[in-house]
Amino acid sequence: MCPILQNEKRGKCSARASRLLALLFLLLPFIATSAFAQQVHPTESQVKAAYLYNFGKFVRWPTDHPNADSMAICILGKDPFGEVLDSTVEGASIDGRKITVKRLVNAADISKDIAPCSILFVSISEEGRLAPLLAAAQRQGLLTVSDIPHFAEHGGIIGLVMQENKIRFEVNRGAAEQSHVALSSELLKVAVRVIEKPPQS
Amino acid sequence: MRTSRKRSISSKLTLMSVLVSGTALLLACAGFFAYDQITFRQGLLRTLSAQAQIIGSNSVSALIFNDPQSAFVTLAALKGSPHIASAGILTAEGKRFAQFTTEAGGEIINTPALGDDEIETYRFGSTHAILVRKIVSDGKLVGFVYIRADLKEIDVRLWRYALISAAVLLLSLMFALLVSSRLRRSLADPIIALAETAQTVSRDKNYKVRVPSSGTGDELGTLIDSFNEMLREIQQRDAELQKAHDELEHRVAERTRDLVSANRELEAFSYSVSHDLRGPLDALSGFSYVLLKNNATRLDDNGRDALTSIRAAAKRMSELIDDLLNLSRVSTSTMHREKIDLSIYARSIMEELCRDHPERKVEFVAPASAEAFGDDRLLRIALDNLLRNAWKYTSHHDRARIEFGQQIANDRIVYFIADDGSGFDQRGAARLFQPFQRLHSSAEFPGHGIGLATVRRIIQRHGGEIWVEAAVEKGASFYFTLESNRARE
Repeated sequence: MCPILQNEKRGKCSARASRLLALLFLLLPFIATSAFAQQVHPTESQVKAAYLYNFGKFVRWPTDHPNADSMAICILGKDPFGEVLDSTVEGASIDGRKITVKRLVNAADISKDIAPCSILFVSISEEGRLAPLLAAAQRQGLLTVSDIPHFAEHGGIIGLVMQENKIRFEVNRGAAEQSHVALSSELLKVAVRVIEKPPQS
Repeated sequence: MRTSRKRSISSKLTLMSVLVSGTALLLACAGFFAYDQITFRQGLLRTLSAQAQIIGSNSVSALIFNDPQSAFVTLAALKGSPHIASAGILTAEGKRFAQFTTEAGGEIINTPALGDDEIETYRFGSTHAILVRKIVSDGKLVGFVYIRADLKEIDVRLWRYALISAAVLLLSLMFALLVSSRLRRSLADPIIALAETAQTVSRDKNYKVRVPSSGTGDELGTLIDSFNEMLREIQQRDAELQKAHDELEHRVAERTRDLVSANRELEAFSYSVSHDLRGPLDALSGFSYVLLKNNATRLDDNGRDALTSIRAAAKRMSELIDDLLNLSRVSTSTMHREKIDLSIYARSIMEELCRDHPERKVEFVAPASAEAFGDDRLLRIALDNLLRNAWKYTSHHDRARIEFGQQIANDRIVYFIADDGSGFDQRGAARLFQPFQRLHSSAEFPGHGIGLATVRRIIQRHGGEIWVEAAVEKGASFYFTLESNRARE
């Protein structure tokens, strides 16, 4: 309700304007819903891209992590986002660290120092090579995210799932611990499922 | 009168202390209440702000990952907090995201608008206060949190204050009564004592009384001391005055005693002389009569003339002695004052004179009545003397007019007897009232010079004055007053 009125300069409100405002306040819930209904719902990839970026806010990497002034989101495999991710993270930063997007062609690139990643999104195209990939990511201390089904159960740290037509996520705390990635309790709070067991290697 | 004054002063004191303490207390209560209201509101705002901050930072993930359930769990933590009526979280777009309420029924909250650079705002209503705070994550607005607090406690506090105020007011009233009774002892009682003493002094002229000292060194004490000092001075002067007065009185009494005894001696002397003179005189008169009667033929004309002269002289001497005795009696006889009418006496005397001398033509004028207060016998003697005088000194005129009357002069009743007879030279007037002093020879007008002295003695005994106005051949007017001050009263 308030954001719509954010730009109103309150000082200029006359008595009549404030009465109008009051009326607006009463009608706001309806106006807001109807206006929202007409808005195009964010697409699945938009939501996922936003999640990917936002996970960075609730995760702490080991202190000796190479990335000090920037944070890279790496995408392994077939990129499902395209321009969407780039526009989402454009100009964004977390704790003063600039967000960048990198696209990796194969799993071997993870270990390379020329491409230090913080968050690794595993595309559905990589489903078959998951185990070695996760082992490599764990060594690098990466936050692994994927929308591959049962990703968290298989040793990934965060697995995106569809629930009641909404995109939610599962968390594997054991996997995060092994990667020395600290997850915020805030993140665990909103996760649909928190898996404690470490991956079976 | 005493009790009413007492009541009025002490009740004034009571009223004063009650009013002062009551007003001060009410003002203090109002001040405290206002202060409490302000601090309560500030405290409430601080609490709400802190709570909104905690809820906001704990709801960031819920907002970001679109999890209203988690946000509700965070909000529900407010359940235990006092005053909270409801709380909620809105998305950055203003959509309702999560809501928690302790009140029955859903609610539509009109949250106050937030400016671009504001992080938090609040609004106080009559029953509720609402606080809205932005939820920001990494510089980006992710949503809003609002908390609505119940202001019922303000009412509760108001009542509590009113109750405490009333109780304290009652206590202070009792205290004020206590204080006023104390004050009365130190303030009202000395004033009452002062007033009562002043009343006693002015009513009874009793300067012996003193105001009991209040024993305090304040202005009241000074007033009482000054009053007492004044009384002491008055009393002292009174005593001195009384002493002087007594002394004077004593001296006057002494002198009067001396005078009276001297006078009595003198009168006794003159009486006995007069009385003793009568014996030889009677012998002289009697034997000369016998001689004239029995031996008239033996005497020649010269001898008879001499005898007749002796008899006439003896008679005159007898009259003189009578007059002297009269004068003496007039001086010594006791006075008996009463209300009398001088006009009646004057007329009866004149009638008697006319009867004795029917040949004379005298017109007599007198008022219907002339009231006086004096001794009946003495005043009759005085009037008799004066009228006979007038009668005598008009005898050389063919026609005469004698008037008796009264007039008011200088607030005094002045009686007068005027004639148009021979009169006399005014210069001799002073001698006229001395015994044996005459302005005319016995050959011209018979007399012994005792009459007017007798009149003056009578008038003096009545506390009056007598004086005369006259001119040769134009008559004489005698004026007299009785007890000079009487007419004024």
